[in-house]
Amino acid sequence: MIKTDVIIIGGGATGCGIARDLALRGIPHCLIEKGDFAAGATGACHGLLHSGGRYVVTDPIAAKECYDENLILRRIGEKCVEQTGGLFVRLPGDSKRFRELFLRGCEDVGIPTEVISSTRALDLVPNLNPELEEAIKVPDCSIDPFRLCMLNIRTSQLRDGLIFTRHKVTEIVKSHGRCIGIKATDQATGEVREIRGNIIVNATGAWANMIASLADCEVPMTLAKGSLVITNHRLTNMVINRLRPPSDGDIIVPNEAVCLAGTTSLAVENPDKIGIESTEVDTIISEAGRMIPHFNHTRIIRAFSGVRPLLKSKKIDSHEISRGFQIIDHGNGMYSIAGGKLTTFRLMAEKMVDTIMAAFKLKKACETAEIPLDGQEELSGYPLSKRLADMNNIVCECELVSRKEVERIIQQTGTRNVGDIQHRTRLGMGPCQGGFCTFRALGIMNDMSVVSPEQSMEMLRGFLQRRFRGIRYALWGDQLREEQLVEYIYLGILAMEKPQ
Amino acid sequence: MNFEHCIRCTICVENCPVMRVNPDFPGPKQAGPDAQRFRSDREKAEDDWVLLCSQCKRCEMACPCGVEPAQIILKAQQRYGLEHPHSLAHVLFANNYYLSMLGSFTAPIANRIAATKIGKKIFDAMSIATYIPFPKFRFHKLSWKKRTPNRRSRKVAFFYGCFINFYRPDIGRKIIQLLKSFNVDVVLPPQWCCGLPALGNGNLQLARSFALKNTASLSNYIDAGYDILYSCTSCGLCLLHDYQDIMDIPKAKKIAENTYNLHEYILRLVDDNYIKPQFQEVPRKLAYHIPCHLRALGIGYPAAKLMSMIPGLTCEIIDDNCCGLSGSYGFKKSNESTAISIGNRAVARIKKTCAETIVGDCGSCRMQLGGLSGLVTLDPAEVLSESLGITLTKKIKS
Amino acid sequence: MSVTEYDAIILGAGVAGLTAGTFLAGRGFKVALVTSGEPTACLSTGCIDVCSRDSNPLTGINGLPPAHPFHLVPEITIMESLNNFQAAMMDMGLPYTGVADENRVVLSALGTFKTSCLVPSTMKAAPQDAKDSIHIITFAGLKDFYPSYVISRRKNTKFSVYDAGVVSTMGIASLFEEKEFLESFIAWLKDQNINEDKIAFPAVLGLESAAEIVQTIATRVGKPVFEIPTIPPSMPGRRLFNALKDYFRKKGGDIYWEWPVIGVEKSGKIIEAVMTASKGRPSSLNGKAFILATGSFVGGGLTAGRDSITENIFNLPVLAPGPRETWFENDYFSFNHGIGRAGIKVDSSLRPEGSLWENIFVCGGILADTEILKNGCGHGLALATAHLAAKSCMEYIR
Repeated sequence: MIKTDVIIIGGGATGCGIARDLALRGIPHCLIEKGDFAAGATGACHGLLHSGGRYVVTDPIAAKECYDENLILRRIGEKCVEQTGGLFVRLPGDSKRFRELFLRGCEDVGIPTEVISSTRALDLVPNLNPELEEAIKVPDCSIDPFRLCMLNIRTSQLRDGLIFTRHKVTEIVKSHGRCIGIKATDQATGEVREIRGNIIVNATGAWANMIASLADCEVPMTLAKGSLVITNHRLTNMVINRLRPPSDGDIIVPNEAVCLAGTTSLAVENPDKIGIESTEVDTIISEAGRMIPHFNHTRIIRAFSGVRPLLKSKKIDSHEISRGFQIIDHGNGMYSIAGGKLTTFRLMAEKMVDTIMAAFKLKKACETAEIPLDGQEELSGYPLSKRLADMNNIVCECELVSRKEVERIIQQTGTRNVGDIQHRTRLGMGPCQGGFCTFRALGIMNDMSVVSPEQSMEMLRGFLQRRFRGIRYALWGDQLREEQLVEYIYLGILAMEKPQ
Repeated sequence: MNFEHCIRCTICVENCPVMRVNPDFPGPKQAGPDAQRFRSDREKAEDDWVLLCSQCKRCEMACPCGVEPAQIILKAQQRYGLEHPHSLAHVLFANNYYLSMLGSFTAPIANRIAATKIGKKIFDAMSIATYIPFPKFRFHKLSWKKRTPNRRSRKVAFFYGCFINFYRPDIGRKIIQLLKSFNVDVVLPPQWCCGLPALGNGNLQLARSFALKNTASLSNYIDAGYDILYSCTSCGLCLLHDYQDIMDIPKAKKIAENTYNLHEYILRLVDDNYIKPQFQEVPRKLAYHIPCHLRALGIGYPAAKLMSMIPGLTCEIIDDNCCGLSGSYGFKKSNESTAISIGNRAVARIKKTCAETIVGDCGSCRMQLGGLSGLVTLDPAEVLSESLGITLTKKIKS
Repeated sequence: MSVTEYDAIILGAGVAGLTAGTFLAGRGFKVALVTSGEPTACLSTGCIDVCSRDSNPLTGINGLPPAHPFHLVPEITIMESLNNFQAAMMDMGLPYTGVADENRVVLSALGTFKTSCLVPSTMKAAPQDAKDSIHIITFAGLKDFYPSYVISRRKNTKFSVYDAGVVSTMGIASLFEEKEFLESFIAWLKDQNINEDKIAFPAVLGLESAAEIVQTIATRVGKPVFEIPTIPPSMPGRRLFNALKDYFRKKGGDIYWEWPVIGVEKSGKIIEAVMTASKGRPSSLNGKAFILATGSFVGGGLTAGRDSITENIFNLPVLAPGPRETWFENDYFSFNHGIGRAGIKVDSSLRPEGSLWENIFVCGGILADTEILKNGCGHGLALATAHLAAKSCMEYIR
């Protein structure tokens, strides 16, 4: 049994941000996550660090929060946040009135804007729709959300935080009506861990209500599924937004070597049972194609869905529900933090830890906005210069991931899961979506005796099945050719057997 | 962007002669479409391994998806060249045309010096490899012949290229005789280097200047009803492909539409019944080394078809190997061992045929294979000439 | 426009295309084969899968669903196609082992058994069950092969590593073609004093001389030696392709590389010619009959848009399983994805159904209802349908 002060359930941006803040304020803590980091909404979003522009008209408070955080993240994440800048493009037919509201709203909130002509916009982003009327430049940024979680966790690890991924919380232990701990099952071994703590933070996003119910509490939420498509390569180096009231498919974000475009919004009940639909893919492509025409012909390599954890509201259109967040004190030692968005994760964490400090009657102030994120120098990434080390022993050729990197991750994390390597190195995230490199990565794991011989076939099979879910709705044109080739390799050349 | 279509099948990798022997070159897929997703204008180019690509174009010929890895790599080479100083060897070969002019003008002396130890030392200092003898310059190169009595219904403007002009004008003269014997009027239009050496050695500006001059000159002849002929397959690929797709030359399409490979043209004359060549027996056993750029031209192997009409001639086609020289690539010291390894593989394959003679359209290939194997090399035009009894007259001027 | 006339024009350089072309060329027809790149066969294991549904492939064929194109080919033609293939490969120095009525297995790089019918002689000694103990030799730095996968499935397996100095599949295969390298390798191998029953290698033991090299190693070391096919780049696939291509040329066929077909000339119900852009100067090849063997999606014969599937050259009607949602099932391993049935439906003469063309014949992976992976019938189907298509074509021309 492990004893600590604060137990954080949920390894998304919020949970990881809380871990970092607690670490910097010297509070012992333990983070439990059911999957790998960023398994929920964090890992299924654009990776956009908003300037706030998107919310100035509909939700100025959220907009201000975003902008303030944007400045902070650019400072503390200087080496990992890509300062792409963003454009809000106005197409023929888009409301001029909205444009006025937008500019005024940005001014009120303090977001710096620059109105630029269509010529200049096309200079900056040659792939834009040549018919655009004008564009407004804002300081949007992008980051790989998984990397963001990893960097926050780094701080926690450096200060003896305990982290358990791939552990599913099955029970919240109570004593005299107070939550005193949790029980979680190691998904790989089946072993049950019990962890005791004085405070439990439920930072599970879309699963907040499910987790809260383990302690007989409630977190009223609206779950809205949002889908994204990923392109083969960067069609733009700047974030592209549509200058109109927020709607489907109006954001395109460059991230690492790809673009993410989306999103959609459909109410769902169960965050574990979601899947993208063909019609969503078509909608996203057609909307994105209005801003960048090449989208209509470009190669899509992946299409997937995530669930937004929104606070329950009577408003029907979930684009309108406030992205603001809420901290719920359940009065029994457990707190839930719900709502919010990626850009404001640090602020959410700060408020949560302030609350915890007050509960502990401690007085250490939050430093997460001042101290740079740990571990930024270790990152590989985009562009080419960050991937040039060791060009001669590349395991994933699409994303230029070297064998050294893979071995390092395996040694550092002790992982037995190809997905873990994928998230940390981007192996298998490129055009062939792991077609070749998974065979190699698992071979390396075999060589290093990290997996038992019996496990590797199961892992390969499991990987291919999961991978398929992410690409199934993106299979036409070049990607279908790619997929047929990968099929020939695994089912033909490697003669993978049908599962019994 | 055609790199979008790459499905990572590795067929290009199977074909790359450099990657096979040089572990420092990551291959056409990785240096081309893989790396291209990561190349950004926002940072300095540091991908020096792109310089190892010999531009043989085998990857492009093999790709089933229409990706042109060599072109992607060429652009990366150009970008790298803009930000890093070129080696002396690069500069010299880019200006091959002018240096060859000089070499030709001082021919007997230049050749003699090149063969001495001092010559070798000079080459070493310039980072030029000497594993095969440097070609001998000829003083009496071809000269422009702008007009011809307009007697025949078929007339061509012959783009002879630097190799024939400076090193083997005799082949050029044989080709002219051959065409005349086929009742074709031949002019030698004002022409300059096709620009490929400059392009391949990082001097796009110089390449374009040649291209613009050539295009203007050849255009005039096309307007006057001439077809343009080339015999060097690398010149051909440059005129037909690089002018349009890489150098962005206006009117390049017009040139491409009216330019033919010499043997392609002769075959047309045969198919149209314009000529009925009486090929006499040539009892030779030949190994026909297909130049990489001929394969990339998409015209089949017309010289092979012509040679198959020659009685007594055995001609085994070998199109699986690059010779390794790739124009000036192998002449650079940094590529020397790569070029030799590739070349030896090609020679080993040729020797399996037990042929005494190697035939190939590209002068560069012939230099390399002849130099490494010690076998005699011939241009297909020489074989055709032999079969048709074409010999050079004593007069030097044609 | 330059125009050349042929009896038959084959579209596609895969197993089907080259086989159909060879059949016709060998009977005196004037045959051209055009292709835009190299075929999927280059990536395959090189094994000829006929039908894996039964231990007797011919019985397995009879059990295939009624719509399967194998039913269109009389059993005698299937036998003929396999015999011709084996004879051709023997001629080209790449012998194949196996008989038409009995499947055998090849050990895969995952340690599973791949069912096939005719396998290259380099895989002849592959174990047919779990009994033999194996010693695997792999090469330092070869990232496409991991003995540990095989060891995980077969307890009686050990491995050793040899440093060849190069790390790519092609590079190592190329080295094995050199006598010196082979000798020092064999010396090293003998020193290992291997106790196991058989010795296994990733399939990198040479290119055109692979059969000989494997034989040499086996004889000198005194143990059966076999190759394990690798993920692409695949040497056995490349050897198969090279052998088929060279055999086609040996029989008198012409191959045009870099020849993507951009247009077709037709008159009434007859296709007269196919055209390519040829670097800006359209050129065409006339033919009396056309054999379409351009492959499935990977090969480029079929293209899937977001809503429909098209055939790229003649715009033939394509059987699609339904709208895009029906192309795939949720279970990756269902082996029942609808997309496996997409393709061209044909009549008993292998002419496309639902189209008016009289002189187009279709064979190979582009056919509908093949479900190649489910039925284990890739290259075998290509050989059989190529023969039938060639026969129908021959009848038509005469």
